[in-house]
Amino acid sequence: MIRQVPVFFAFAILTAVADLTEYATDVIPTVSPATYWRADWANLLIQAVLKFVLVGEIFAHVFGSYESIARLGQLLIRALGVILVFAAAIAAAYASQNSPHGIISGAWLLDQTTFIVESGLLVFIFVFSLYFHLVWDRRLFGISLGLSISSCVHLASWAILGNLGALDPKRMIFVFLNMATYHAVVLMWFYYLLVPSKVAVIPAVPLPENDLEAWNRELERLVRP
Amino acid sequence: MTLAIILVIAAALALIFILGVAVSRNLQVSAKPGLAQRIQPIDIEAFRNLADPAEDDYLRRSLPASEFRAVRRQRLRAAVAYIQVARRNAAILIRVGQAAVAAGDLPTAEAARQLVRDALWLRRNATFALLGIYVALAWPHAGFAADPILDGYLHLNNSAMLLGRLQNPSAVVRISA
Repeated sequence: MIRQVPVFFAFAILTAVADLTEYATDVIPTVSPATYWRADWANLLIQAVLKFVLVGEIFAHVFGSYESIARLGQLLIRALGVILVFAAAIAAAYASQNSPHGIISGAWLLDQTTFIVESGLLVFIFVFSLYFHLVWDRRLFGISLGLSISSCVHLASWAILGNLGALDPKRMIFVFLNMATYHAVVLMWFYYLLVPSKVAVIPAVPLPENDLEAWNRELERLVRP
Repeated sequence: MTLAIILVIAAALALIFILGVAVSRNLQVSAKPGLAQRIQPIDIEAFRNLADPAEDDYLRRSLPASEFRAVRRQRLRAAVAYIQVARRNAAILIRVGQAAVAAGDLPTAEAARQLVRDALWLRRNATFALLGIYVALAWPHAGFAADPILDGYLHLNNSAMLLGRLQNPSAVVRISA
């Protein structure tokens, strides 16, 4: 399994380690607030890079075996990536600056930016594979589904959090919503990765039967176009 | 605040779409018995005639400009109908091929993979051809490339016949009229 989706495993382990480290910097009294926010920034940057590499891994698994659409997909996803980065930059430029400390509001904007690009790219992968009626590996589908749900909920939360005051008590609701969603998604990943799928016997779908004359006509057309 | 509302709506729509995909199980292997029966045969010769540039040149020379534009648009609309059927057939054969990859023995699985590759190629080219035709409908003097569709359809026909023979040696399969 680790060989099949190495980036996902790196993402799962590094994210857990980075979150625990950040939690430690939050609760240890000797760590200053500035150090905590620097750790938060480092955590966000690491997670952002890992998420985009993970999106690349999902794309490669879904479309990599089909050369004809892989190239088209690469072209489209790159173009969409550029558009999403511009859109996220515009959203960040027009976002409310509710914290007097640049390091804090910057971290919130970085979160929002990451989730705009991430959710846009994941939706594109789903739409593109639906258009071509491609079937996904169950585990890969679970990973993508969890990542997409998490990014959409986080995007909505951060869009609201960005407009609330730094000390607004309602902030905690959205912080808990994000945490609850992420924990639910982790359970979903456990389910898709560890619980074996039901072994369904898929009957061969017979192609329509037709007459020998048509077969001969097709052969003739091939031999004498 | 307007920006936040836009982002929340976009995130909610994306979430609904993704949950819809998960619930519909559209991205999982399925082998519905009537799937292959939904394939509609195409009259390749009729389509070849519709897409033939020589025919268009002949009509352009023979007809007054306004009449030519009207006839050309009718021919293009007919070509759209053919290409849409080809695109739908390709989608069905992608499903059929993917189910056969999962269910078949080694030669059948290889034939099924080839069928999926050919069907994807055709569906992609059909999409481009449709875009070209919609441009030509607005500007009747513009052409569209039908060769990738014709070649792709014949390849797909061969792959479908090969898979059909491997799955059921006594039957013969065609997707062209």
